[in-house]
Amino acid sequence: MPELTGAIREAAKKLLDEKKVDVVIGFAPGSLPLRSTPCFVRRPEDAAGLLWNRSCENNLANYLRKRSDKAAVVAKGCDSRAIVELIKENQIDRENLFIIGVPCTGMIDRQKVARKLAGRELLAAEENGDNVILKGRDFSETVPAAELLHDSCLSCRHPNPVIYDLLVGEPLPEKEGVDFSDVNAFEAKSPAERRAYLTEEFSRCIRCYACRQACPMCYCEECFVDCSTPQWIGKSSEAQDNLLFQAVRVFHSAGRCADCGACERACPMGLKLHLLTRKMVKDVQELFGYDAGVNPEEKPALADFKAEDPQPFLIKE
Amino acid sequence: MIINKNELAGFLDRLRAGYQVYAPVKEKDYTVFKEIGSGEEATLDYCNSKIPPKGILFPQTEKLFSYSCGPDGARVEEHIDDRKKVIFGLRPCDAKSLVLLDNVFNNDKYQDPYYLTRRENTTLIGLGCNHPAQTCFCTSLGGGPFDTAGLDALLVDTGDKYVVEVLSDKGKALFSGLALPAAGDAERTAAAAVKEAATVDCLVNLNGLKEKLDVNFYDPIWDGLHEKCLGCAACTYTCPTCHCFDIVDDAVDADGCRVRNWDACMFPIFTLHGSGHNPRPTGKERFRQRVMHKFKYFVDNFNAMACVGCGRCIKNCPVNLDIRNVLAEIQGSEARSDK
Amino acid sequence: MRNPYLPLPMKLVKNFTETDDKLIHTFTLEFLSEADEASFKYTPGQFAELCVFGKGEAPFGIASSPTEPGHLKFSVAKVGVVSTALHLMEEGTIVGVRGPLGNSFPIEDFKGKNLVIIGGGFAFTTLRALTAYILNPANRGDFGKLTVIYGARTPGLLLYKEELAEWEKRDDIELVCTIDRPAEGWNGRVGFVPAVTKEVAPSADNAYAVICGPPVMIKFTMPELEALGFPPERIIMSLENRMKCGIGMCGRCNVGNKYVCKDGPVFTRAELNQLPNEY
Repeated sequence: MPELTGAIREAAKKLLDEKKVDVVIGFAPGSLPLRSTPCFVRRPEDAAGLLWNRSCENNLANYLRKRSDKAAVVAKGCDSRAIVELIKENQIDRENLFIIGVPCTGMIDRQKVARKLAGRELLAAEENGDNVILKGRDFSETVPAAELLHDSCLSCRHPNPVIYDLLVGEPLPEKEGVDFSDVNAFEAKSPAERRAYLTEEFSRCIRCYACRQACPMCYCEECFVDCSTPQWIGKSSEAQDNLLFQAVRVFHSAGRCADCGACERACPMGLKLHLLTRKMVKDVQELFGYDAGVNPEEKPALADFKAEDPQPFLIKE
Repeated sequence: MIINKNELAGFLDRLRAGYQVYAPVKEKDYTVFKEIGSGEEATLDYCNSKIPPKGILFPQTEKLFSYSCGPDGARVEEHIDDRKKVIFGLRPCDAKSLVLLDNVFNNDKYQDPYYLTRRENTTLIGLGCNHPAQTCFCTSLGGGPFDTAGLDALLVDTGDKYVVEVLSDKGKALFSGLALPAAGDAERTAAAAVKEAATVDCLVNLNGLKEKLDVNFYDPIWDGLHEKCLGCAACTYTCPTCHCFDIVDDAVDADGCRVRNWDACMFPIFTLHGSGHNPRPTGKERFRQRVMHKFKYFVDNFNAMACVGCGRCIKNCPVNLDIRNVLAEIQGSEARSDK
Repeated sequence: MRNPYLPLPMKLVKNFTETDDKLIHTFTLEFLSEADEASFKYTPGQFAELCVFGKGEAPFGIASSPTEPGHLKFSVAKVGVVSTALHLMEEGTIVGVRGPLGNSFPIEDFKGKNLVIIGGGFAFTTLRALTAYILNPANRGDFGKLTVIYGARTPGLLLYKEELAEWEKRDDIELVCTIDRPAEGWNGRVGFVPAVTKEVAPSADNAYAVICGPPVMIKFTMPELEALGFPPERIIMSLENRMKCGIGMCGRCNVGNKYVCKDGPVFTRAELNQLPNEY
């Protein structure tokens, strides 16, 4: 996406030249194929190091909370929704943030690439229109990008940033309806099947808390896992406690989670965290008709009460 | 000696008669070291394991002892694992990491019986790396794809078989009685050729790094180096030389056990005092501590860097914070070259 | 191989509320057998990990001196799970002790020298051990003049009030207690420890200074000691850091390349000047 890269570099350089911001937070080339890395540009001449492509998967809203300087950030659709919720929670001062919005066609899932390569090492990769060329020691394969995108990108309904100060590139057509087929499929399983699946999945969790640290909405000064009086949850890596950690974390994000998938992308063990977060997003939509971060004027779902809120625990139906 | 690849499963099953055998096993999209129930489960067709095999000698969660306490005293029962083990097919970098960890668990004043008992009873059979990955930089740390540090035997993959080099008495003891076919000239030549051809493309110049770290603790360079770090433990828990741990009690009233769990200096409350004071209050201090510990303090105390260049931290970091770039930046430009 | 993680059971025989704000208690622990006591040989300055079975462990400086046989004394502030459990503990309960851990005050170096011991508030615990050790008749002759300056915010917050009263009466120790602001019923000195140190002006000649206290006290007393002529090699400090294993393996308590639990907690000012200011 060279045009988007060019536009972002230009915008960043201008903002820094004109001293409108102290830092531009964007992406720079990573040290591995198909990876980019967050970068903090403070000098106009360094803006030339920024880029935009299908590897810009991190949610940079994570670096925006309680900043004391004026910052600009490169934000795709899901990132901007996190920014909206953080503004509602007083974690971001809108006056001191310049949002360079980028309509997003989806980010590549490295786990899917690894599965495609079946153990072969990826030595180089190129984006070529709608395809990605994967190169290794004795191979070069062209794969449609759509096959490699994160599941969260495939089900994304908000590719365009919800708020921005500058929109780079053309807005993408919004997708209609909602697609919770992944959650529905899981809900269709029996409780015993679900328990077995989740226990097996979370037996592999190593409690590195990459999910928590990558999530823009997880910013408690004392996370509940670190509290010792009382001790809510064991610290050992053990399937039931691991699942409890993730479940409680998801509950704490109810109505705030922008469905960006940063947690699942960060997980070194490739756990299907998205299943739990999407279930929460679905429940909040069904119960309260609320989608996090889509409407800057709307009060957060769990900070508000409407007369028509469902109350099955009070009212006999 | 040689082991034909199509006889590997049988070989491992024979080992299982005398040892708990840990070998690389495929799990979802990655490989981990697990105790195998049958030789068929093992696979040596892997780059490196997601979690390093140090977890076999120093488990992520380990019961140290159980206790039950009454008015007359406390009954304390320690749980020390002294079963004989084999870690089969580990890479030279991971074997070297155990040599480094030995310094930690057997320091100038104390010995850790949990790690050391397992270590004494474990035989390490390594697998050399024919095709080191782009994220490997073991040679910059004094290691190499066929380095033998810490290994009791080393396997060289020559295509359809493994040529076995026995390196220690422990290795000799393991292989004696297994009546493996001897390696002929052709096999030995093939093994030598494989070793010759293996190259590690990435070189990080670490000369003078410690001297720079001796003096740059208060340098503003750390402000930029840590900035994108999330403060998770993805690097820590996949690192073969990391050894920080926490000790907790898991009990009902006064009956229960004392457990140790892996911990990480990257976590915010790692150094938090009861008074509320934290000597490492932000990610910058914690990131600096990680680099200082591995590349200066460990050198000060044990004359070796606490890194084996396995590249797991590079592969697993959610924001692609690459330690090679960090070191190169501290060293100044031109400190890193990749072919 | 000895297992350094196993606690030695001891009986809590006295749970004494040391300060008038009730936040610090002093615990007296008795060994359950002579063999146990023989296995726990310690010197002033060392600490131990006190274990409450079912709750956890925490490190505390040993406040008793080896010249006071049969028991150990610890003074503990109520800040978390273990300390709260200790504060609520009934006398007669069995606890565990792991130790002695750490290094000690350099008693051998102190022999033949004058000693200036300066403590603030709750940090006086191991200084009590040192003072009691020196005052013991078997040891007193080995040391020169002994000056102890001990300050607390209020009279009620001074630790070991009974001992302080006894020491005041002796002529082989110059004890100066001070509180921050005038208080009813207090006839002693009033003033912060740094100012009192300046007033008392202990001579640095052939003397060691041992100082333990909250960071702000150290910050302002250190220049006074330097002005009096104490060189960094003869200023002794005891550090605190969050600890778990106590044996230099869990990686938590390091200051630079030294572990406070294993290479400390006692350091000279000169040694600390070589380490990063991360404590």
